Amino acid sequence: MTWYFAGVDIGSTMTKVVIMSDGGDICSQVIGPTGAEHRRLANRVMQEALDRAKLSFPEISYVVATGYGRLNVPFADSEITELTCHAKGVASLFPEVKTAIDIGGQDAKGLKIKSGKLIDFVMNNKCAAGTGRFLEVTAATLGLRLEDLGTISAKSTHRVKISSTCTIFAQQEIVSRLSEGVAVEDVVAGLHDAIAVRVVGMTRRLKIEPVVVLTGGVAKNTGVVKAVREKIEHEVFVPPNPLLSGAIGGAILGRDIVLGALKEGKPIPKKERALEEVTFFN
Amino acid sequence: MSEKSRGLSKVEEICSQRSGRAKELKDEGKKIMGYFCIYPPLEMLSALDLLPYRILGDMREPITKADACLPTVVCPFDRSALDLGLKGKYDFLDGVVWAHVCEVGEKTAHVWRTYLNPAYFHFVDIPHTIHKPAQNQFVQQLKDFQKTLMSFTGKKLTSEMLVEAINAHNEQRSLVRKLYDLRKPDPPLISGSEVIKTLKAIMSLPVKEGSELLREVISEVGERKDGVPFRPVRLLIWGSIIDDTPLIEMMEELGANVVMDDTCVGSRAFFPDVKLTPDPLEGLAYRYLVDLKCPRTFKESTYGETKKDYLTDLRSRFSYISDYAKEWKVSGVVLQSVRYCDIHGYEVPGLGDYLDSVGLPHTYIEHTYDERSLAPLRTRIQAFLEIIRS
Repeated sequence: MTWYFAGVDIGSTMTKVVIMSDGGDICSQVIGPTGAEHRRLANRVMQEALDRAKLSFPEISYVVATGYGRLNVPFADSEITELTCHAKGVASLFPEVKTAIDIGGQDAKGLKIKSGKLIDFVMNNKCAAGTGRFLEVTAATLGLRLEDLGTISAKSTHRVKISSTCTIFAQQEIVSRLSEGVAVEDVVAGLHDAIAVRVVGMTRRLKIEPVVVLTGGVAKNTGVVKAVREKIEHEVFVPPNPLLSGAIGGAILGRDIVLGALKEGKPIPKKERALEEVTFFN
Repeated sequence: MSEKSRGLSKVEEICSQRSGRAKELKDEGKKIMGYFCIYPPLEMLSALDLLPYRILGDMREPITKADACLPTVVCPFDRSALDLGLKGKYDFLDGVVWAHVCEVGEKTAHVWRTYLNPAYFHFVDIPHTIHKPAQNQFVQQLKDFQKTLMSFTGKKLTSEMLVEAINAHNEQRSLVRKLYDLRKPDPPLISGSEVIKTLKAIMSLPVKEGSELLREVISEVGERKDGVPFRPVRLLIWGSIIDDTPLIEMMEELGANVVMDDTCVGSRAFFPDVKLTPDPLEGLAYRYLVDLKCPRTFKESTYGETKKDYLTDLRSRFSYISDYAKEWKVSGVVLQSVRYCDIHGYEVPGLGDYLDSVGLPHTYIEHTYDERSLAPLRTRIQAFLEIIRS
C-alpha cells in the first residue's frame, strides 16, 4: 500500500501544494495565487492537486500546512513554520546544503542547515525591500512584466547603483535615473543588485557556507540569481521549481511524523478533518 | 483598593490600575517619587519615606504626543513613557529621579523636565564603566542626590535610616529570588506572565507593602494545584525591558514556558543585594554600578590589560546567563530588544557567540514596543521552538 502526504504552503503571494508518496515521489504539484480570499481558497488548490494525482482526500495520510497563511488551513493535521519546511525541502533536493536563501513575495529568509536540519535563521524585518514585492512594485513603475526582468537585465552593460533600500524611495530613484537617460536594462540590473546586497547582507549574520541554495519565487529571476552569486562569490544552486521547496518540506515532515509514529507503535497524530472551506467555526 | 483581594488577584487589581495605591497614599500625605530605569538607588527614597514609583510605558497605548518632542527613531519604550507623561498619566508624581542610563534615557530626562516641569527633579549621572575611580565618582553623585533629597523633604538622611531601608529592600530582593525558585520545577509553579505582573505591582508599592504582597503570592502559588501547564520548551528571555505580557503569552501559546529572565522588570532589577558598608553610600554605589547587569554599563575582563582574549571576555560578561540556564533547566534563550536600543543591540553578537560556546540554542528578535507589532514575531518564535524540539 502506498501512503500519501501533502504539504500546503500558503505564501503571501502564491499558494503551493505538493502531494508526495512514502517513496518520496511527487505525485502532483499545484501553484496558484494566494489572493485576499486564501482562507476560502486553500481547499480548492488542494482539490486540484488531488485531481491531478487521481487521489481522494481521505487517501492522504497527513497534511502539513506552512507559510504565512498556515493557520488558515482547516484540513491540515499540523502547522509547521515555513522556515523548518523550507530547510527540509531544500535539504531533500540538495543534501549537502549548508545555507539557503529564500526570497518570497513578502519576506526574505536566510537558513542555516546542518545535516538536513534547520539550526538557525534570519528574516527581514517588516519591510518589503529585498523581497518579491520590491520587484513587483518597481517593475510596475518601469512598465515591465515581472517575468521579463531577468532577460532584460542580461542586456545591461552599465549597471546603475540603486542606493535606497526602501521600496518606495527606490521607485523615486528609478524615476530620476530614467530621466537622466539611463537605459532600462541598467536600472533593472541595479534593482537585482539591490536585492542581492540586502538579502546576502542579512544572511551573512549566519556565516554563509557552501553549498548555497536560492529558492522562492524571486529565484526564478535569473538576474537576481546572478547578482546573488556575485555577492556570495560561490556557486548558488536553484531547484528546478524554486517555489515548491516549502510544500515539499511540509510533505516530507508529514511523512516523518507518520512513519515516526508507526515505528514507535503510536497512533498517527491526525486531526478530525475534511476538505472544506474555512468557516467561522473551524 | 479592595480589602479582600490577596496574592495574585491583588496583583491583577494593581496592574489594572497601577497608580491606585500611590494615589491613595498621596491623599494621606505621602510623597510619590517617580524613577526611570533600575539605576536610581531606591533605598535613598524609601529611607526618606518617599514612595519609589517606577515610570513605565504602555505598549497597548498608541504614541500620539511624544513624537512632537522626541525623534521617532529612538527607543519606543522611552517614547511611550514620555507619551504617558505628556498625557498626564504621571501627574500624581511629586518628583522624578532620572538617571544617565543610556543616551536616549539621558535626552528623555531633559525633555521630561522641560515639558512636565516636576516640583523635584534629580538626574543621577551613572558612570559607564565599573573600575574603582568610576565607583568613587558614583559615590560623589549619590552624595549630591542625598543633598537634593534632603532639601526637598526637609529631613536629614542619616546612615541609620539608609541601613534600615537597605535591609528592607534586601528583604524584598530575597523574596523575589524565592519567587523565582518557584519557576525551577517542570512545569513551573508560576508563569512568566504572572511574574512580570507581580514585579510590576511591587514596583508601584512601598517596599514593605511590596514584600507583603510577594509573601502572599509565594504562599498562594506554592499551594495551588492547577497552576501552569506542562510545555515542552523552557525559555530564558534576555534583553531590554518587558513590562507587559503579550510577548510572553505568545511564547506560552506556541508551546514554551518562560521560566527565567534577564530583563529589568525581572531578575536584573532584583537579584543583587546591597552589601552593608561603613558608609552605606559605598555599598549602594557598588550594587547599582557593578552588580547590576544591564549592558548600559561597559564591562570587560581585561581592564588595565593590554591584550584581549575574546572568549575569556565573553565568559566574564555572560557566564551568569549559563548559570541561570543550568539552574532553571532552560532549553533555549530568546534575545529580544526593542528597536533602536543600541545598548542591547551591541551586546547581541557577543552574547550569541557566548551561548554558542556553551551549546545553548538562541534566537534574536526585535520589536517596536507595540502590542500590535508582535504578530510577525510569531513565525520566528515558532521556528525557534521547532529547532529546539527537533
